[in-house]
Amino acid sequence: MPLPTASASITGFDPRRHVGVHAERVSHVSSTDYPGHYPDEDNSWDLDKFKQKLKLKVQRLSNRSIEFDFVGVDASIANAFRRILIAEVPTVTVERVYVWDNTSVVVDEILAQRIGLIPLNVDPSFMDIKENPTDQATDRNTLVFRLRVACTRNKNAPKGSTDPKELYVNSDVLSSHLEWVPQGEQMTVMAGNPPAPTNPNIVLAKLRPGQEIDMELHAIKGVGKDHAKFCPVATASYRLLPDIILNPNKPVPPHLAEKFQKCFSPGVIRVDPHTKDVSVDKEKARNESMSREVYRHPEFEGCVQLARVRDHFLFKIESEGFYPPERLLPEAISVMRGKIANIRRAAEALLEDNDGPRDVEMADG
Amino acid sequence: MAESTPKIKIMKGAAADLSAATYQIFDESHTIGNALRWMLMKNPKVEFCGYSVPHPSENLIQLRIQMYDEMSSLTALLEALSNLDSLCETVEDEYRSSLGSGAYERWVEKS
Amino acid sequence: MNQPGPPNAHSGGGGGYMPQPRQEMEYICADCGAKNEIKSREPIRCRECGHRIMYKKRTKRMVQFEAR
Repeated sequence: MPLPTASASITGFDPRRHVGVHAERVSHVSSTDYPGHYPDEDNSWDLDKFKQKLKLKVQRLSNRSIEFDFVGVDASIANAFRRILIAEVPTVTVERVYVWDNTSVVVDEILAQRIGLIPLNVDPSFMDIKENPTDQATDRNTLVFRLRVACTRNKNAPKGSTDPKELYVNSDVLSSHLEWVPQGEQMTVMAGNPPAPTNPNIVLAKLRPGQEIDMELHAIKGVGKDHAKFCPVATASYRLLPDIILNPNKPVPPHLAEKFQKCFSPGVIRVDPHTKDVSVDKEKARNESMSREVYRHPEFEGCVQLARVRDHFLFKIESEGFYPPERLLPEAISVMRGKIANIRRAAEALLEDNDGPRDVEMADG
Repeated sequence: MAESTPKIKIMKGAAADLSAATYQIFDESHTIGNALRWMLMKNPKVEFCGYSVPHPSENLIQLRIQMYDEMSSLTALLEALSNLDSLCETVEDEYRSSLGSGAYERWVEKS
Repeated sequence: MNQPGPPNAHSGGGGGYMPQPRQEMEYICADCGAKNEIKSREPIRCRECGHRIMYKKRTKRMVQFEAR
């Protein structure tokens, strides 16, 4: 079993840059780049140095998701953006449901909850947050939708058909049945992009002849920490860049090169066809699954050290709802800066109190 | 947030010159707590900095700052906040320039 | 939750809260689903299929829910 102390001595493993990945544990997890940690080293915050070290590179972009490399920041910063994406970037969804009639087999409570989960294509910047449930609903903080669907028999259904979609009209209640009812000035503000579900094909309930649904839906702006339906992303996650460090003092035996290669994800390890020399494809190393399969084979002991680069974050954000994926990180950053400004205002107020007669508001122990 | 409940309180037991103090920051979580702690630790004048979420059902964090040479922890906090803000600005600029360059793979995902 | 009460936005909805003029109560046949009326001193019997069990229709009064 390779001990972390032993493996950390492999040339190429840098405990400042790398998080060690071992058979049963990880090592060198915490960052150490703080002033006072290493003698004769500064490590204090320096914006210019940060600007030089920071690398943010978009790798892949689709209509639903974005992947980017976020290099040169501490985990606390990367994690702050991830947490904000999930819990604090606002979106608009249905919050209140007023039911006049629902004779479908789906009970009112369940149907209301399902409707709340439908993503709407509304730009939250057009709306104010309704701070309190008791606040008056206005055209600035509430959108109104109407859902009126009744199922009837289809008189023109083909003979002998057993397909409910042919036999009946409105056998499925779909998200496309939501009908926006503009209030006040909403007609002019939102006419360019009328509010509707982002996906028109979500089945909300199934109806049979004689059954009907008649309800009014009020959508408000909210954040994911209040309820997951407000979350603008399906996932927002990061992982650290894998790094495979081969030991120059203990090369992989040529007759085991292929076996060594198979211990890693496809393409990560290259084997020279003639010399059977083993090398790492730096570009493909990011695809390594870090299965730690090499550590199971005693013949490879000491040949390799698996690690992750501590300040190299591979972000993947999958958008769900209004925001195009490339807009999500800027939104998270602006939420973050809003929070900072908020705290700074309070801290400045404290400083003013403190400069005057000493009468700071103290909390109890 | 209504003005009746302040965003920040200094907890009892702080040094009179605020060279050592614990700040209660309301309606904040690990998101700001950890980022702020990191930025404060990047300040060589800070002797110690740590934060905690005392209880999950109370929506607040406690941030402890101790300074060298009787300096004010409140000044350090303000400095950390503005550094954090310029960090965010830098990250956003870098992101926008990468997005603008178009040097990345584009693909279509069916929904 | 579930307290009946009118929505507080200026809604376009037909407020089911107003007392409506009394009309003949309709029932649904439990067997064939046909609409029926029940009159006093008459047997309860579906006019389509003769079934003797009727369901009352759901109220049209507004009920309020949180979408949570």
